[in-house]
Parts: sequence; structure tokens; C-alpha cells
Amino acid sequence: MIGSTPEATGQAERSWTLSFTVNGQRHELAIHPERTLLEVLREDLHLTGTKGACLEGECGSCIVLVDGVPQNSCLILAPQMEGREVVTIEGLADGTVLDPVQRAFVDNGAVQCGFCTPGVVLSTKALLATNPHPTYDEVRRGLEGNICRCTGYMKVLGAAMAAASAEGPGVADASPEDRPRP
Amino acid sequence: MFHRPSTLTEALELKSRLKDKGVFLAGGTDLVVGVAKGRLAVEHWIDLSGVPGLSYVREEREELAIGPLATHAMLERSAFAPALAQAARTVGGPAIRNRGTIAGNLGTASPAGDVSVALLALDATLTLVRSQGSRAVPIRDFFVGPGKTRIAPDEMIQEVRIRRPADSAFLKLGKRQSVAIALVSAAAVRQSDGRVAIALGSVAPVPLRAAQTEAHLAIAGLAPDAIREAAGLVSAEVKPIDDHRASADYRRALSGVLVRRLLEQLAAASSNHESAAPV
Repeated sequence: MIGSTPEATGQAERSWTLSFTVNGQRHELAIHPERTLLEVLREDLHLTGTKGACLEGECGSCIVLVDGVPQNSCLILAPQMEGREVVTIEGLADGTVLDPVQRAFVDNGAVQCGFCTPGVVLSTKALLATNPHPTYDEVRRGLEGNICRCTGYMKVLGAAMAAASAEGPGVADASPEDRPRP
Repeated sequence: MFHRPSTLTEALELKSRLKDKGVFLAGGTDLVVGVAKGRLAVEHWIDLSGVPGLSYVREEREELAIGPLATHAMLERSAFAPALAQAARTVGGPAIRNRGTIAGNLGTASPAGDVSVALLALDATLTLVRSQGSRAVPIRDFFVGPGKTRIAPDEMIQEVRIRRPADSAFLKLGKRQSVAIALVSAAAVRQSDGRVAIALGSVAPVPLRAAQTEAHLAIAGLAPDAIREAAGLVSAEVKPIDDHRASADYRRALSGVLVRRLLEQLAAASSNHESAAPV
């Protein structure tokens, strides 16, 4: 059930079989169909990098990539993921080598308490996949659905701009006055 | 019970059998939250994510067809009618727009539905389908009250269609620039025959067409004086309430400001167009 603890979801209620791919690995799970993707990721697959905070699509801490597109995992009922490919924050690094977006967040000190970070990193990843050289304003818009309660937005936006420069062959297309001010 | 039909026929047959006990699930941005927060209990989910061919936004000559699983993100990328893309763009953040559907937004029938306001100004036609056939409903007749529409218990929204307007624009003011519910939203549309339509959200139990203001504009046109008078008229015409987001007085004032700005945009675009036309 949505919002229920794992204990409340008894074996008898696991009436649905879900087949999907998470971080490149195929899974077939017996679940209660009224559980969210967020719950299944965290409780069944123990991928606790994906966070749940507002549980109503306002904060972005639960964002994952579904077929490459950022979506709020708290708003998805798990059976809707049949046959889909989900990427969580755990799926970005290649072994011990961080993804360029993760690297940029580390290098730019863009992490405070860290709770919003997985969602912000995945939103940045998705933005750069469709728009490799965003302007500063496009980055702001791309991350508008991610709330940082530490309010560390300037470092986050700087890291995203740095990731854009690092990921592509060229330098991000932003004029100096577009760039974040310290 | 969770149902995941693989064809539209199967989905409609389920709905026809279950009626109000069956709820179509698309993006889940309202329904899943409703259940999570205990506001809603669903006996039978009818998930549409396994039905192919429902997720489209396509131009068919002078009309735009919006499929039942078309998302806000898809509409945001359409250049067909600026008001529609602008309205879709103001909903939530990118991840929400990738999930939330236009049909779902209409079915939820929130007085603050942003795309609903744009579609109302554009005189959209909704096709409602059930096992035994379909019917067309003008969007003007679709909304009945907050959360209430003309959809029968065995029907779903199969398609939304609009005709290409000459010009259109949408504006919304929320408490922030992103992920915010509208204090007031407004759309203005100029059709090719010169007729101007105005719709507003969050100022009445349902998205509202400003009929008196439209009648004034039909006579007075888009001259600066006429626009100022229209702003005054629309403030008197809306029926907002006081709530935790804004007072009724503020919403009245805001309605006038947004409509004035929209009409100025349409007037400027129209005069540019005329001066650019060959003599």
C-alpha cells in the first residue's frame, strides 16, 4: 500500500508480478500493486539513494530516470513500470568512477545535507542529455522541480554549469552575466 | 484490484463494468497523491500505461489532436498555439510534466488547472469514449464544479482537439515562479476572424470564460482604451474567493492586470503582423 511500512504489506498481498530493469539489471518482483516505485526501489531492492520527502511530487527528492526521462518515483505505481528501464542514483557511477555530473557536484561543493542531491543530480543528468550546453537560465528551469531545504542553490547551479562544460566538447553557452555570482 | 489492460477496448470494457468503482490511472500525479494522503480510496485501478498509441500530440492540418496519455511535457514542445505550450510549461517541474497528462488535468477539474484555462479560451472539443461509442463535448460544457465534469462513469477522455488560432497567450501568477498553484491564471486567444476569447483560472468554481469582457472587445477592438476598459470589466466579472493563497480582492485586481497584459501582447503581435504584411 502507498505509504505503508514493509511489515504491513504481507506476503498474501503480493499479488502482482513486476518485470523491469533497474540500473541495467533485470528484476522480477512479487509486489502489492498499490505500492509506489519509490517504495519498491527502497524497500525491495534496497536502493536507498532515492529519497522520499514530500511524497506529493513537490520536492523532487524521489526523482529517477524512467527510459531516460526524469520522473517522480513517489507518483508512480510500481506496476506501471512493467518493461521499463529505471536508473537511480546508484546507477550513475561506473564502479568507483563517478559520472561527470556527480564529479562536478563533488568538485563544486554542491552538497550540503545531501538529501536532495540524488534527485538534483539525476535532473541535471537528464537536462544535459537533451540540452548539452544549457544557459544558466535553462539550468535554473531544468532544476525547478528540485527543492533543497538547505537552500544551497547557488553551488548546485554552479555545479550543473560545470558539468555541462565537462560533459560536452565545448564550453557551456552562457554569457558571463548569466553565470552564478558568489 | 489492479487492472492493466493492453488495449483500449479492454480498458473501456473494464470501465463499463466497474463504473465509479474503476478509476483510470495515467500519470498518477493527482490519484497516487490522493491515496497516499488518505483523501482517496481506489477499489479498482485501470492502469492505461500498457495500452499503446494513446500518447500523442499531433497537428492535423489546422487542428491539434491531443491523445489521452499526452503529457504536459509533450504539449510544452508544441508550437501550435503559444497559450497551450505556455500553460503546460507552468505546471510543476520537468519531472511532473513528464508524468502528468492533459486528459488527467481536465478530468481532475481543478478550478486552478492551468492547461484547462488555455483549452477553454481555445474552445477545445473533447471526445468522450465508452464501449458503445463516443460523443463530442465542447469544453465550455465540460466542467461542472470543482472536481466535477460531464464524464459519465463508463467514459474516458479519448482526445482533445483545438483549431489553430491566429494568436494566443497565457499568463499565470503563483507564489513562486515554479511548482506553484495559480493565484490567478488567464489565457487570451485571437481567432483568424478577429474574435477574442478570454478565460481565467482560480477565480470561480470552474475555469471561467469572461463573456462580458469578450463582448466588449468584439465591439471596441484592441485599442489601448478598449484594453483598459476590458481589464476593469474582467475584474468585475470574475467570482473569486478568499483562501489561504490570496484574497478575493487581490484576485480581482490580478485578473485585470493579467488580462491587460495578455491583450497588449495580442495587440502588439497583431499590429506587427499588419505592418509586416505586403501592401
